[in-house]
Amino acid sequence: MSAVPLAALRGIVKRFGPVLANDHVSLDVRPGEVHAILGENGAGKSTAMQILYGLYRPDAGEIHWNGAPVAIADPADAIALGIGMVHQEFLLVPPMTVTENVVLGLREGRGPMLDRSGAAARLAAIAARHGLAVDPSARIAYLPIGVQQRVEILKLLYRDARLLILDEPTAVLTPQEKDALFATLRSLRAEGRSVVLVTHKLHEIMAIADRVTVMRGGRVIDTLDVAGTSERDLARRMVGREVVLRVARTPARPGAAALRVEALTARDAAGRATLRGIDLMLHAGEILGIAGVEGNGQSELAEALLGLLPVTGGRILLGREDITRRPVAARRARGMGFIPADRRGTGSITALSVAANAVLGEQRRHTRAGGMLLDRGAIVATAREIVAHFGVRTPNVALPAGKLSGGNLQKLVLGREVRRASRVLVVEQPTRGLDIGAVEAVWQALLAERDAGRAILMISAELDEIMNLADRIAVLFEGRLSTPLPADAVTREQLGLMMAGRDPAAHGRAA
Amino acid sequence: MLLAALAAFAVAGLLFIPYGTDPLSAYAFLFAEAFGSLRGFGFTLVQATPLILIAQGTVLAWRAGLGYVGFEGCFVLGAAAAAWLALGGTPDGFPYALPPALFFPAVLALSFAAGAVWAGMIGVLRVRFRGNEVLTSLMANYVAAFIVQYLVSGPMRQPGSLPQTPRLPRDTWLPYLIPEARTHAGILIALVASGLVAVLLRATPTGYEIIASGINARAARYGGIPVARRQMLAILLAGGLAALAGLGAVLGVQHRLMDGLAGGAGFVGIVVALLARLDPLAVVPAAILYGGLEVGGAAMQRDTGVPSAVVFILESLVVLFILGSGLLRGWRLPLPWSGRWRATSRKAAE
Repeated sequence: MSAVPLAALRGIVKRFGPVLANDHVSLDVRPGEVHAILGENGAGKSTAMQILYGLYRPDAGEIHWNGAPVAIADPADAIALGIGMVHQEFLLVPPMTVTENVVLGLREGRGPMLDRSGAAARLAAIAARHGLAVDPSARIAYLPIGVQQRVEILKLLYRDARLLILDEPTAVLTPQEKDALFATLRSLRAEGRSVVLVTHKLHEIMAIADRVTVMRGGRVIDTLDVAGTSERDLARRMVGREVVLRVARTPARPGAAALRVEALTARDAAGRATLRGIDLMLHAGEILGIAGVEGNGQSELAEALLGLLPVTGGRILLGREDITRRPVAARRARGMGFIPADRRGTGSITALSVAANAVLGEQRRHTRAGGMLLDRGAIVATAREIVAHFGVRTPNVALPAGKLSGGNLQKLVLGREVRRASRVLVVEQPTRGLDIGAVEAVWQALLAERDAGRAILMISAELDEIMNLADRIAVLFEGRLSTPLPADAVTREQLGLMMAGRDPAAHGRAA
Repeated sequence: MLLAALAAFAVAGLLFIPYGTDPLSAYAFLFAEAFGSLRGFGFTLVQATPLILIAQGTVLAWRAGLGYVGFEGCFVLGAAAAAWLALGGTPDGFPYALPPALFFPAVLALSFAAGAVWAGMIGVLRVRFRGNEVLTSLMANYVAAFIVQYLVSGPMRQPGSLPQTPRLPRDTWLPYLIPEARTHAGILIALVASGLVAVLLRATPTGYEIIASGINARAARYGGIPVARRQMLAILLAGGLAALAGLGAVLGVQHRLMDGLAGGAGFVGIVVALLARLDPLAVVPAAILYGGLEVGGAAMQRDTGVPSAVVFILESLVVLFILGSGLLRGWRLPLPWSGRWRATSRKAAE
């Protein structure tokens, strides 16, 4: 190697109990490069980065910084060296301002007082240099998620980080925000800083990274120059086999109206309107895709449909029956199912077994002695059926559901809801955080359900998912839903603009 | 778990030394008193009876996700209800007496209902108005204690005597199983209740729903489980079980109602449930262990002058150590690493 790498992992080994998370991982990050780490969930990419950031200690191996071995015992050591990390969940204090968040934990200058105006000025200078438009005096709680991410990056730059680790940074961004982030990353690279981008999105790697390290099963498979590779090649290396990134689908054959929503409104706990009059019509045998950046009423719409969120106005009709005031159990009994975005907090009870989770909501149908006692045999049979049919990888159905990987847990939730929901399936962010193999499986299952005549409402922030699966597409922005359009009549760019509230065709408009 | 219990015994053993007793023979004496003879074991069962019932109540309420601690209140009101029926309402009595075949079912139902209503009030405050059930149930204990104080110094007082009711009619006493130890049939009630709680929680859809509501109310609601109703059911049953503990104390031990009847059983029962890790089947041996410690401690104080407070300390230490062991499992991991890792990696860096 010609230049001395800025940071290097050398033979890192890390075990979690019986799981070998990192198996002799070695990689170099050169000064002034954007280095992508690609891998499926559980490939060990996050573990490797958390070791570099001092969150875990390796069982073997060394970390080098500017060519010399260093000990990084905790994040404070990493920060002192010049390593910074933006986690998937932001670590900001919502009631405090941008400046306060950035200087949080820093001791600078003399005396006990904070030099707020000095800090704000320095912050503004850094922000201007890298195109990170942020008002230093704004409070975090009022900032959109994309701007909060900028604040996280500013925090690192304010501490003069030489190496920035970004963990799945684009998951929460609109296409336009993503472009802005990439512009910032290019500007950081031009300044000689290095960026490590942990991701499993191939097209982002092609768009921004200089080199890419592919990981699989805890090992480094390869480190490649992005210029000399392709999405298809990367996907094959990541999964270890050829993958189809598009699902084969036939045109929908929509049937009768299954679900009708009229002028639905809802408010959050603080009394702010979250749904501002939603109208939609969902037919049997079709997938209606609801695109949009999260926080525009997506979760509220899904929860209102299943009955978890009380609505303040409007009607929900399942078939011809008005179910607006009916409880969750009644809606489920009439053939509605819901796959929530938060599969660990809402979709499952992680402390209970796979079997217990397989019958959540259906426990009264797995009984004997006239409904008095649970029928363990029937519960286990149902669980095994779901596990087998949807390929849930689990040693047995007595395992606590929380020990399943995200993809396998999602397949369990999906299997349960699909098994039950004879009419309408409300699906929220069905493949968030899943690896390619699991995404494929979930997509195939949803299409199969559509073809079997279920009506599917799919809420997703992933344009790929919407474009690939939906028969009609609408955009939810600030609690309002645009008129659904046939999927082949809209482009990715149009959707992106509508998601940001900038299309005159959408009902909502950005301020 | 076992190690934690042994550690607690070892630490508490140090407390015997100032009294000139060596810990091993003190423990041998303690356990011989509690478990070494039928008579001793009978006393132990008497002590264990209310602990089992209250611990099962704790299991139900806490598994449903409620931090209910109002068992003392349910205990004394259940005792008052039982005494009221046994006395026929007032010291003057009903104009007629219930035959035993009717009296015992009636007194069980009435006492259970008294505790259920008392706990149910807290349940309504919690599930409907989001009141903090820990605080409200704790305060309700005082109210219940004062209600009983009022009853025994007013309407139900034995004329011209201490503030207590007259002795209950002999027919209303719970029968003795081990007469020499005055072990009453309350232990049977406690064991039957334990079996029912175990079946309810482990084998019925309702139990599944209670546990789901307690672990993750959000997911339970999502599954269509009526969380508030299941929590109400759990707290009603919990209050009722604690009231039966009071019934046992009145009809089985004291044979009259008086102030201060619960004597902390409402809290020791919670401790027993924690020791059993909220497992209804583990509650029974845990309660018998604690009952035995109290019997042995009292005997030790009587015979050797070592204060029975040592036993209270021991009981508390067992729980602290066992709860602590759960915490330590999580905490222990980074501690040895940090030292070793820093040392080796520094060496490597040199």
